[in-house]
Amino acid sequence: MKEGVIGILGLGAMGQIIAKDLHDSFKGKVVYLVRNPSSIKEIAKKYRAEVRIVDISKPESLVKAFKGIDVIIHAVHHEFNVRVMEACLEANCHYVDLGGLFHFTREQLKLNEEFKRKRLTAVIGMGASPGITNVLAKYGAQGLEKVEAVQIRIGMKDFSKYKRVSPLSASYSLQTLLEEFSWKPAVWKNGKMVFVEPLSGREPYVFPKPIGKQKPQYTIHSELATLPFTLRAKNVSFKIAFDDDFVEKVMLLKRLGLTKDEEIEIKHNKINIKSFLVEVLKQLPKSIPKKIEQYEIIRVVVKGIKEKKSKTIILDTKIHSVNETIDKETGVPPSIVAQFILSNQIKERGVFPPELIIPAESFFKELTKRKIFIFQNNKRIN
Amino acid sequence: MKVDFVVLGATGDQGRICSKDLLQAGYTVLLAGRNPDPIQDLLKNKKASFMQVDVRDIKKTAKVIKDSGAKIVLNCVELTWNIEVMKACLLANAHYLDLGGLQEMTIKQYKLEREFKKRKLLALLGCGSTPGIANVMAKHAVEQFDKVDHIDLGFAWDSNIKEFVIPYSIESIVYELTTPAIVLEKGKFKKSKACYFEGTNKFRGVGLQNLYCIVHSEVYTFHKYFKKMGLKNVHYTAGFPEHSHRVIKFLIDLGFSSKEEITVKGTPITILDFTREVLKKKKHPKNYEETENVWVKVTGVDEDMNKTIMMECLTTTLKGYEEAGSNINTGMSISIMGQLFLKGKIDKIGILAPEACVPSQDFFEELAKRKMFVYQDGKKIN
Repeated sequence: MKEGVIGILGLGAMGQIIAKDLHDSFKGKVVYLVRNPSSIKEIAKKYRAEVRIVDISKPESLVKAFKGIDVIIHAVHHEFNVRVMEACLEANCHYVDLGGLFHFTREQLKLNEEFKRKRLTAVIGMGASPGITNVLAKYGAQGLEKVEAVQIRIGMKDFSKYKRVSPLSASYSLQTLLEEFSWKPAVWKNGKMVFVEPLSGREPYVFPKPIGKQKPQYTIHSELATLPFTLRAKNVSFKIAFDDDFVEKVMLLKRLGLTKDEEIEIKHNKINIKSFLVEVLKQLPKSIPKKIEQYEIIRVVVKGIKEKKSKTIILDTKIHSVNETIDKETGVPPSIVAQFILSNQIKERGVFPPELIIPAESFFKELTKRKIFIFQNNKRIN
Repeated sequence: MKVDFVVLGATGDQGRICSKDLLQAGYTVLLAGRNPDPIQDLLKNKKASFMQVDVRDIKKTAKVIKDSGAKIVLNCVELTWNIEVMKACLLANAHYLDLGGLQEMTIKQYKLEREFKKRKLLALLGCGSTPGIANVMAKHAVEQFDKVDHIDLGFAWDSNIKEFVIPYSIESIVYELTTPAIVLEKGKFKKSKACYFEGTNKFRGVGLQNLYCIVHSEVYTFHKYFKKMGLKNVHYTAGFPEHSHRVIKFLIDLGFSSKEEITVKGTPITILDFTREVLKKKKHPKNYEETENVWVKVTGVDEDMNKTIMMECLTTTLKGYEEAGSNINTGMSISIMGQLFLKGKIDKIGILAPEACVPSQDFFEELAKRKMFVYQDGKKIN
């Protein structure tokens, strides 16, 4: 594998998983791009990474910090995706991110020509979902003459034992979660994009054991911005299950007006309600596990026609996480794909969703190394 | 123009209710506060005027009071500032009434007794519903005993629509629910766990309610004024409907009651200020109505016989005050007590609580005019 330089922009929960995976699998140089270097001093020392200071609110700061880096993995919030991509264009870096929650994804795709012109690659939405889901959808659709439906369903069950449980623990960015709970989910129905009510479609669905019955709900997600068009599917939907207690708590915050994306005046200062809420929630004590044991299933059901017969392919990514965080399936794919770009396993230039550019077999092999397994109709394929 | 009353904090919820009541009775009122926007309707009344006041500045507040010519100040500001307002009244030579200071602030306030007496001024503490109505009802009942042993008291409320509406000052709620409760037991003050659950009880007009023991100023003042009657036990309980208590507890658990600051764009914002402002924006549901029962149960001996008297005051949502719900009993009570003082029906000086000087018959009559009805052992007495 060609060595090179990979930069991780943002060393939050996901950024740190990416950092660990790069440390374990990448021989080149890694640069951490952060606002506050003191918060990551230990991890930078442990993984022997270079640290550069950036201020994501200032594009010129990004361009300056990106110089000399081959691939940027963007692990800060998706609202900055376009800005970071533009900085990559200016600094001549390839780009990988974790998703754009549908609306940002659409904006990002508009940069395709500029990335092509600069001979650069951007892989957008390359976590677990979006990311693994897109690759599975493409893999399932291969060989089908017509794709009738792509149904993405995510289920999780936590068997961990805790010393202390956080009053509102989320498995990923609270800001993203709040957006997912308030923005209207996109659903591709009979060849048309419709936007349904947030939290709608919450119906019982049986995942393979040990997850069992859950109630996944429609949620705004990046997959919907590309799969209907790249796979020419007739129907595409995305649903994720949260436990009842969590849904009830977030809905309560919403009913109280605490999740509104609007300004409020407090003692002559105007602040955004949702942004301030996120800051308050960030201060919550984290859950302290005694023993971690979590299961997650990322399921993609592809239905279509092959040789005039209906065919259903069920692809499951099963993650059983013991004594490590379940989020690794989100942090691992961008690390793999950044290395694919460096090693020329990905050669195409432009802006791509994962289903158009990721070599599925090689990708699955890399997942196997990280104990993330794919099952097709309940049979392991990696 | 010389005015009859100065209402401090007139732009807040209770200040508005109090000012409206005074203006409807035909008095001239100086409404003082920070931002006149919420009282534009009241300022249309020719007998109302407005002055911007920040009570943290004692000298300036005193000047506003003095210049108004008023002899009576009704303090409807958050209880944190009671001492500052009292000092301003001393400087301005004005009598003082407030809505209560819970136990801690009340004890501090009594330390100014010598100065109030020296200037022949009255400071009447706790003139709302509870403290306030509860104290006058206690006095009314205690006068029917030779010896008093026990006083249990509190409030219970509910609404016809089970949707969360902030019941009263968020600062007071948070303080009451997070500060260790203080009870009088066998003549001694005893601290116990904050807001501990004490079971359920059925209340007139409200129904079955959960009871929580909380800190309140009556425990302290009843001991002060009824000790000579033999009083040895006082116990205060709050009856929140489950739908309201659950939300308040959730907000406290999530850190929304914190007085810590979060810096947004270089400006520190107190979390509790944020919570209050967001919750204030939440409108009451259509046709929302509340009922509150403020109750006092006195147990003792009369003519050598054991006796118990149950006093209750029922308040329901009043036409013209719909947004205030049952909270009118707080803002209207201080207005009534201020009027009784102006009429000479309260004629004492020094620092006192309502049970020491408010004539119960006159007070109950005024409550009835505002559709707040007082019951003794189930029989309406006003």
